Amino acid sequence: MAGSMKAVKLRIKSVQSTMQITKAMQLVAASKLRKAKERADASKPYLETMLSTLTDIANSNNDFQSPFTKATDNDKWLYVVIAGDRGLAGGYNSNLFKFMEHETKGRSDITVLPIGKKSVEYFKHRHVPLFTEEYAEVAKVNVSDCFQIAKLICDAYSSGKFGHIFLCYTNFISMLSQVPTASSLLPLSDLKTNEGKTDGKARELILYEPDSETVFNAVVPEYLAGILYTSINISYASELAARRTAMEAATDNAEEMIETLSLNYNRARQASITQEITEIVAGAES
Amino acid sequence: MSTYHLQVVSMDGDVFEGEVQKILLRTIDGDVEILARHTDYCTAIGMGTARVTMEDGTVRKAACIGGMLSVLNGAVRVLPTTWEWSEEIDIERAKAAKAKAEERLKDQQLDKEARIRAEAKLYRALVRIGTHGQNEKFGNE
Repeated sequence: MAGSMKAVKLRIKSVQSTMQITKAMQLVAASKLRKAKERADASKPYLETMLSTLTDIANSNNDFQSPFTKATDNDKWLYVVIAGDRGLAGGYNSNLFKFMEHETKGRSDITVLPIGKKSVEYFKHRHVPLFTEEYAEVAKVNVSDCFQIAKLICDAYSSGKFGHIFLCYTNFISMLSQVPTASSLLPLSDLKTNEGKTDGKARELILYEPDSETVFNAVVPEYLAGILYTSINISYASELAARRTAMEAATDNAEEMIETLSLNYNRARQASITQEITEIVAGAES
Repeated sequence: MSTYHLQVVSMDGDVFEGEVQKILLRTIDGDVEILARHTDYCTAIGMGTARVTMEDGTVRKAACIGGMLSVLNGAVRVLPTTWEWSEEIDIERAKAAKAKAEERLKDQQLDKEARIRAEAKLYRALVRIGTHGQNEKFGNE
């Protein structure tokens, strides 16, 4: 009996120290989350307006002089995958990778530009060719890094290294729900929606100044940088929210475990006392 | 004067939305002013001071750098990389950035990439300083 009491006591202690860690992580994630969410919320309108503007342009654009706008038959895909730096964030990373797998099904010629340590690790393990590993730490990527990444992508795209650029990140829906999302970055003709189709009707004409090629060559790197920056912000907020939820669940779970274990401990203690009394009584009687 | 709906959304968040008479800003191809009922139009924004004439005729100035300007079906959208109203500009910071960039440009061994970056930094600082307050050393006048 005494042996099992000790074992239970040790177990309670170990669960307690784990709970301390999960509790601390939950609090840290919660306090960081507030700031990250503010940043993500602030940059969301830019992303939405930029995307809707470019979709409008893609829908009504008939001027295919810029390499960034016209559709290609180049079947090489570059995926920019934004994941976290660290684990213990519930399904944040694995959901994104699962989604990626589904998204890339049937495409053989893909390259990945990973952002975030987990993303680098995952694709390295899978032997997927990586475009660059320079941006491994998502927490350290700032605006000027985004411009550099955008420039890299633009150069590779215009030299014909890739035919399509795709972005995978985790969208922040609410504190409790984050959904992996993919969106097309280049060429802009990939942004085309069918509702804007003009069958034989007069097509809208947009005036580009000085000309569409110059405009797109100047705007596309900015657009990519902007979208990267905002999606990194949103992904980071998602990661923290996922971590907070996961750690909250872990803490609750640990509390429950401690409760059951202390019940077991007390039961064992009571049993050993009862047994002792029985032994003493039996000894006195004889 | 007739007005139109202007939306300015920068990377740092929703900046301005409302009825304006006109907006003047510097594109990569020179200064452009958009009035109401403009044709569908798209251009890239350069670096310079933007002047927004509000519905009541007051003029607000802002440092406007990078991004794009689009007019589609009467909706005017300005998507700058940075947009700072003249009264919000941190002039001390801009001056410090200007001094730092000038210092860096003095270095003859600076490689091309770094030089371009330092020049861009200097230009941005100059735009901010020019937009701030009334000194128009570097403004649109």
